Order: sequence, then structure tokens, then C-alpha cells
Amino acid sequence: MSESSFKLVEGNKSLMERLFEPPAIGKMSAMAKVVAYGLLAFWSLFVIFPIYWVIITAFKDAGAVNQGPFYVPFVDFQPTLDAWRVHFSVDANCDLYSIGRQFFLLAYNSLGFVLSPVVTIAPMEPQICKVYLAFTNSLVIGLASTALCVSVGSLAAYALVRFQYKPKFGNALVFVLLALLMILATSYMGIPWYVSAAAALALFFLLARALGKRFKASLGNGDILFWIISQRILPPIVVIIPIYMMFQAVGLLDTHLALIIVYAVGNLPIVVWLMHDFFAGLPIELEESAQLDGASRFGIFWDIVLPLTRPGLAATTLLTLILNWNEYIFAVFLSTAKAQTMPIMVAAKNAGEKGILWWEMCAIIVIMIIPVILMAIILQRYIAKGVLLGAVKG
Amino acid sequence: MSSKAGVPVTFDKIAKSFGHVQVLEELSLQVQPGEFLVLLGASGSGKTTALRILAGLETATSGRILIGEREVTNVLPKYRDVSMVFQSYALYPHKTVAENIGFPLKVRKVPLAEQTAAIRDAAAQVQIDQLLDRYPRQLSGGQRQRVALARAMVRRPSVFLMDEPLSNLDAKLRGHMRAELKHMQSTLGTTTIYVTHDQIEAMTLAHRVAILEKGVLQQLDTPANIYNDPANLFVAQFIGSPPMNVVHGSLEGSSFQTSGARVTAPVSGRISKAILGARPEDCTVVAPAKGDLKAEIYTVELIGDHTLVTVKAGQDLLTVKAPKDFSGNTGENIGVSFSRERLFVFDTESGARIR
Amino acid sequence: MGAAGLGEWIDRHARTFFIAPAVVLILIFAIFPTFYSIVFALSRVKFTGSGLRFRFVWFDNFLAQFSGNEQAHFLGKVNDMGPLGWAFSLLVAGLALWWLYRSWRNGATWVGMTGRVISAAMFVFVGWILGATLLSGNPWGTLLTTLFYVIVGCLVQFVIGTGLAFLCSQPISGKNFFRVLFFIPLMITPLGVGYAFKMVLDITKGPLQPLWDAIGLQGWAWSTDAWAARWFVILGDSWQWIPFVFIVMLAALENVSKDQIEAAEVDGASSIEIFREITWPQIVPVAVTVILIRMIEAFKIVDLPNIMTSGGPGIATESMTLHSYFLWRANDMGSSAAVAYLLLILTVVVCASFFNYVVLGQLRSAK
Repeated sequence: MSESSFKLVEGNKSLMERLFEPPAIGKMSAMAKVVAYGLLAFWSLFVIFPIYWVIITAFKDAGAVNQGPFYVPFVDFQPTLDAWRVHFSVDANCDLYSIGRQFFLLAYNSLGFVLSPVVTIAPMEPQICKVYLAFTNSLVIGLASTALCVSVGSLAAYALVRFQYKPKFGNALVFVLLALLMILATSYMGIPWYVSAAAALALFFLLARALGKRFKASLGNGDILFWIISQRILPPIVVIIPIYMMFQAVGLLDTHLALIIVYAVGNLPIVVWLMHDFFAGLPIELEESAQLDGASRFGIFWDIVLPLTRPGLAATTLLTLILNWNEYIFAVFLSTAKAQTMPIMVAAKNAGEKGILWWEMCAIIVIMIIPVILMAIILQRYIAKGVLLGAVKG
Repeated sequence: MSSKAGVPVTFDKIAKSFGHVQVLEELSLQVQPGEFLVLLGASGSGKTTALRILAGLETATSGRILIGEREVTNVLPKYRDVSMVFQSYALYPHKTVAENIGFPLKVRKVPLAEQTAAIRDAAAQVQIDQLLDRYPRQLSGGQRQRVALARAMVRRPSVFLMDEPLSNLDAKLRGHMRAELKHMQSTLGTTTIYVTHDQIEAMTLAHRVAILEKGVLQQLDTPANIYNDPANLFVAQFIGSPPMNVVHGSLEGSSFQTSGARVTAPVSGRISKAILGARPEDCTVVAPAKGDLKAEIYTVELIGDHTLVTVKAGQDLLTVKAPKDFSGNTGENIGVSFSRERLFVFDTESGARIR
Repeated sequence: MGAAGLGEWIDRHARTFFIAPAVVLILIFAIFPTFYSIVFALSRVKFTGSGLRFRFVWFDNFLAQFSGNEQAHFLGKVNDMGPLGWAFSLLVAGLALWWLYRSWRNGATWVGMTGRVISAAMFVFVGWILGATLLSGNPWGTLLTTLFYVIVGCLVQFVIGTGLAFLCSQPISGKNFFRVLFFIPLMITPLGVGYAFKMVLDITKGPLQPLWDAIGLQGWAWSTDAWAARWFVILGDSWQWIPFVFIVMLAALENVSKDQIEAAEVDGASSIEIFREITWPQIVPVAVTVILIRMIEAFKIVDLPNIMTSGGPGIATESMTLHSYFLWRANDMGSSAAVAYLLLILTVVVCASFFNYVVLGQLRSAK
């Protein structure tokens, strides 16, 4: 038996240890502090500077932008509100009255949309301030698609945690086959899409009924979950043209509804993935006890499950909202005038004949950034809790 | 062999506060070479903080720590030559048992052959030499506990620190490990400081017990002395199961006055609010109108080799240890008598023992 | 059937009603368009007065990308391969074959083997393109540009993001401030990021102009040098995405048991040893998952190169999405869909390989 003891002696330290070894646990050596705060300061500067530059550019005029770099407002250039005036006061339609009127029109047109199966109410389309239109568009599309996405996504995520599904592999094959047939018939034979779609759908239900029992191989919850999440891999550019054609066919191009649905589907995988983990972490006893008390499935979901996952739900909602707010590529394809969102407004400033109108563009970017920074501060509580990690732990 | 001799440890007026919360108040404590000292206290008493300050994981607000002759107050944990067993065992989940045990040697760059030998020795001492290739997740609670012990032993430190090491085991295993731990410590002879909230562990393991409450050392003595001669009301009530009975009243001269009764006290003095303490085994149930106190039976519990009789005297509930064939009904009037030489008197206000 | 009856009926079929909306939405707006896209990719599409007319052309649109008039655009100039290019391609092919042989000997199943053959084929193909273009001194096409953004971008973002997370897990003051500050770029619209960097790094009017002057770059522009332009895009992309890696890795670092760190400290390990021996092995599963998520998103890169360089100089910074977008703008819908489909195949093969051989392995060994 070896009787030696293994001690670390403080005397013989290497150079690195001398410089970086902390004086006590929970403290840092002077050298380590210099390095750490130096790096943090550098990175903070790197993060802040582009944002700072965008903000001050929004208060410059053409001269201050084009005649070389000016850094500090009031010191080396005189800030102006020119860029903002372009958006708000030069535009004859951009006053408080028309903004109030826009709220009325929004309500009026929504009502018209809701009542459209019953009576036809002609939508009012006034000439209004472009920035204001884009901002309301972004807001309405962002909020509505987030609501749609989070509700549909959490329902599915919850279902995949608590119910057992056994879809038949064969039925999926039949669906794919019929979808292809429908596409071929519409594209090459000129059959109207609604005829072929109805035929395909009818055939699918018939075949699924008839053949369903013969298919042996079935899939499980894990496969469905993987299938939904893996949709995130799909590059938007693959589906964008067909989606464009589809919305064209039903006359929904350049409407809020088109973007709301597309954004919701695009973010569905993220919502299902995050919420699945939150739901899986819940104890089943509460739900079982509620079931014994006679609550319905939806009642349990609404009254018991959702409140329990509130922090996760909040984080997921905010994340989805931010993604929707910033989305660009779908908006480029699917909105031309009426449903234009903020990112399109930003990009539009690139197309001027006099080159890029940086100051005007920056003003719009600032308008876009402000709500998002506010959200970052709200989200900070959840970031701190590491809620986002939950999903990554797998 | 340095460890066999054991090393003394000194807490010299150690104080610690987190913000405005004072966790330890000027703790001074001498641990003898090779001694098994238990820090006993409820949660929030500062016992774990004291241990962590000794390990170097917390920095004391003021005071000094000495290990042997060397002052280590501002020395990093790794240069203190102490090893620690955590309540959670803190085994590294991605390392095998052998790698876990060998980790302290690896970071000391001990030659591989020597490492292997030392790991085998340590594993053999805690009887886990069959499990060296397993991962912690493949082990039972008791086995994990042994791995943690082996990792603490392998580098032969001058002091062992243990932070509630047995509290995650089930009751039966805990008793078994307790005995092994005590045996191991006495063979190795290494100074050991052990933190627990369990008085049975403290009484059975320790050479001496230090009882902490709200950051203040209440009493430091052998288990027997702590039981038989508690320094104050807190210690008297904290140690012993069921706890010591208390009767509220006043001390007048050499007699203790309580509602309608008068008990001859072992001490004399004049205190308007005093407490008379008597351990359950020092009380006996006698016929009504006899004995020191009048009481009525509250409940009777048969434990096995004895019966616990809870009686109500005035406002106080007293537990009496009676023979196993005791019989009596709830509400029945009885008397309680005390063995006079084993009574304690405390000041209600300060909790201090009146001697 | 009354209202109560209806409620009862819905409740009995809750199983279906819970999941149906999600499945239907995905089937209509993701799966169906994906198949629809095949028709575009296999056709020559013409605009007529009454809509689109499709003419079936088999794989012409795809073949055009590999060997026809679009070859230089998609793959790069691959026809004259230098000796270094040959050596590299052969090395890659050899490695792939050796890997396949080894997995065959280790008893992989038929399904596993098929997957490996596909992964290996993609690996050899990319290796060959790399050998024929970059290593033979020829320009490369949008395929390698996309992979450059994915691989180099993810690597840079992972290393810096993890480094920052490590810094913020140290005992520094103002932790919450840095946490929020470093998170902000993730929330800013990619468009804004692109324009902001275009302004900030502008040679003549940007804030760094004195610096460019000092090193004699006043007459230069980002859009004139292929490599400078590519790194320019990576810079913007990294500014936006490092926060994501940072926030997840920080959470992972803080999730490692504090007891284990303290045990290692008492046992004598230094900070670097603690990171290498205790922390890192436990956060590897999170790390590879983060890289996977980042990779999936990186394949879709389009806004930044579009804004910062418009894909130029030439096609040097054009990603595959941008390539497809430009083709669509030129009304070549068939080729546009074909490029988009090739991007889908590339993404799926690369991400699935990474998931199967790296992420799953790490997740399993962590269990």
C-alpha cells in the first residue's frame, strides 16, 4: 500500500498560474479581470456600435451622411428630423386624424371580413401614410400569426405528449401519391385545381377507409414529432413559388391572411419543439385529478396545463413574435402593396434613383428595432432562467 | 506517514455574512489531531458555511483558519490539502468510477502506475474494487457514496470534510454506512469534520460534537456530556429523542413553582420566568396525588421495549418513558415524579442554564 | 344533438382535434408545395394570358446546373483541375471509402449502409468540387458559397459564442447587463443588420474611414474582392447569430452541477482543467445540438448577401437561395425550382448526416 500523500504545493506555480490563478474561489486575479473585462468591453462595443450608427444616421441629413463620417450628434454634426419628416409630415396622409381613421378602417374591414359569408361589405381602401400602413401590417400579421402558431402548435405538442397516435405508414404513402396526381392533373392537363383537389381528397378518404386495415406498418408519436420538427429544415425558397401559385388561385395574394398562415406554418416546428418539452415536464397527476373531477380535455388544457407552462409559453410566444416581425423573404413574394410589412419598407429605400436614402431607411429600422428591444428586456427574465435551454437538452 | 498522526484545525473568530445576513458570528473552535468532530445544527444554523469556509469554497468575512500550524485563510482550496465529500456526492457523470477516484491524482500529474495502485487501494478500502469500470449512473446510492469516499481518501489529505454525506441514503443503509465510516476514520486516523442535522449521527460518530444555532456555537463537548450536561435550553431540547420535557413556572429559592405544584429544584435562585427540564426516562408515572406534579393522560403509545405516555400538566405536555406493560386511559388522573438529581433549570428569557 | 351533446362529441374526439390543425396546416402549406415544386423543377414554365403553362422536360433543369450553361454559376469552373485538386479529391474519396468499409465491417444494417453511402457520395462530390475550384485556382459557384457560409459561419459563431458564454459564467459583475446586451442582435431584423454593416464598414463614409485611409484602402470597396466580400457577409451573419449560441451555451454552462465544480476545485483542478475535464464533456450534447440548429438556419441564408453585396462581385457571395431568387426574377421558374430543390437535398443530406453521426452519438452517450 502506497503511503505517500499527494499534495499540491503552492510554491511551484507556472507563469500562467501566477497570472491567472484566482486569489480565492469566486474571485478573479487582476490579470484575468483585465482580460475578461477587456473582451467583454470589446464585444459590447461591437454589439452596440452598429445599432448606435443606425440611430444617429436616422437623425442626419443627406450632407451629414455623404460628407464623410460624423460620430457625435451636436458635436460634429447637427441632428435633424428630416428623415422623420419624410415619413410623417411630408406625407399628406400622415396626421393624427388619418391614424385615428385607420383604426376605424381596420375595425370596419375586419368586420367586413368576418361577415363576408353573410353580406358583402366593400372594404375601404384609403390613401394612407406608408410607414403607418407597414407598421400596422407588421403588427397585425405578427400578432395574428403568432396567436395562430402558438395555439395550433401547443395543442399539437400537448397531444403528442398525452395521447398515443398510430398513423398508418401506408396512408401517408397514399396521401403523397394522390397529392402528386392532383398536381400533375392541374399543371399538365389544365384541370381546375378545386376539381382535382376535391377528387384527390375524396379518393384519399375512400382509399384510407378501404386499405387502412391492410397496412401493417404504423408510425408512433416520436415519428410525428420528428416529422413536424424536421419541417424547419425546408428552405423557404423551395415552397415559396408553389405557395405563391396557391394563394393566387384563391385570390389571397397581398392579403394579411396569406402572410399570417405562411408565417404560422413556418414557425410551427419551433413552437411544437419547445412546447413539447415544457409539456413533457409536467406531472400527469394534476390532469388525472381534473379528469376525475369531470373536466373536458379542452378544459384541462386551458385551465390547468397552459397556466402551468406560462413561463415557457411566454418565451415561445415572444420568440415567434420576433421571428414574424423580422421576416423578409415570404413578404417579398406574397405582398406587393396592401399587405407590405416593415422589412419591405426598409428594402424599398434601397431602390431610389439617387442611391440609398440611408437616413430615411435608418428611421424605419429604428421604428422596427424599438419594440424588439423592449421585448428583449421583457424576455430577459426568461433568458435568465435558461428556459430556452429546456428544448436543447433534448 | 503524515496522515496517521492527524493534523489540528483551528477556527479563530470566523465570521461570515452574506449581505446583511449574519451566518456565522465569531466562531472559535479547536479540532484535535485525528479527531472526529461533528458540526450539528438545524438548517440555517451556519454549519455548512463553516465547513465551506474551512474548505476554501467560501471566504470568511473576518477571522482566521489554521490547518496544522499553517494559516490558510486566504489559500485556494487546492493548496489546503483537504478533501470533501458532498451531500450530492458530486460524482462526475461522464467519468467511470476509476476515473472519478483518480481525478485528484490526475490533476496532480501523479505517474499513471502510481495512480492505478492508489485507485485500487482506495477502492478496496471501501469495497468497490469490482465496480471500477462502471459509470456513476449504473451504481446504487450506497455504491455512489463509497465512490465519493474513495475519491476523498485516495490522495491522503490531512483533513476530511463531509457535508451530510449520509442524508441521501435510506435509513437501513445509513446505519450500516455510519458504522463503516466510524471504523474507517479510526483506522486512518485522519482529522475529520462532519456536518449533519441528524443528532443520532452526531452522537454515534463523533469524538466531540459542536452544536450551532443561528451562527453561534452553543456547546462543544463529547456526546455523553452534551446529553447529560447541556449548556442551555436549546442544546437540551435539540439532543435526545423524544426531546426533553419542559415545565413552565418560576424559581423561588430552591423550589420550582408551577401551577399548583412545587418541585424541589437542584439549584437555587430567584427567577420569575423559568423552565424546568426533565428527560422522559427521568420521569415516572405514579398514583394520583402522589409525585411532584398532578397530570392527566393525553395519549399512550407502545413503542416495543417501552411505552411513551404523554401527559398534560397545567399547560405543558410531558412525555414519560414507562415500562412496556403500562396501562392507562386517556383523561385518567395520575401523578408524575422526577429523579431530582437529573433535573435542569433554565432561564426562559435567555435560555441559559441555571447552575 | 344539443349543445351538451356536441361538447361531449368534441371531447370524445379530442385526440383528433388537438393534432389535426397542425397536421393539416403542414400538409397544405409545407408538404404539398414541396411536391408542387417538383413539377416546376421538371418543367419549362411559360407565362400565358390564362396563367402558367408547363412543359415536361425531364431533368433538363437539373442537368443544366451540373453540366450545361449554368454549371459555372452553380458549381464553379470545374473543368481544369490542378494537381493539388486531384490529390485532394482522391484523398476525400479514399477517406469516404475507408469509412464505408469500416462501417460495413462493424456490421451496419442495410438501411444504415444506404444512408452512409448517400452521405459519403455527397462528401466525395463536395470534395471534388472543392478540389476542382478552390484548390485548382478556379472560381467556385453558389453551392460552395452556401457551404462556406454554413461551415465557416457556424464554426466562427460557435467558437466566439461559447467563448463569450464562458466569460459570462465566470465571477464577473454586471452579468445580467451583458446577458441582455449580447442577446439584442438576435432580435434585430436581418435586413437592418445587413444595411447597418454596409454603412458601418463603408470605406469612404463609414465610421472606420480614418482607419481605411491610414492603411491605404480609400479607393477600395468590399464588393470588388471575392474573399473580402464573403468574410463581410460572415461578419454580419455572425453579429446576428453569435447571441443565439451565447445564450444557449451560457444556460448549458450554468446547468452543470455546482457541487461537481466545487469538488474539482477542492480536488486541485485549475479553471482550465475544470472546463476541459468536468464542464466541457457535460455540455457537448448541447453544443452539437446548437450547431445543428444553427446549420439548418444557415443553409437558408439570403437577406444578408442580397443586401450587403447583392451576391457580388460576380457571383462570389451568392447563396443558393439567392441564386434561386435571381432565377425566379429572371422568369426562369423551372431552373429556380431546380436550384431550390438541390438546396433542399443538400440541406437534408448534410443535416441528417450531422444529426445521425454526431448529435445522436453524443445524446446517447450522455444518457
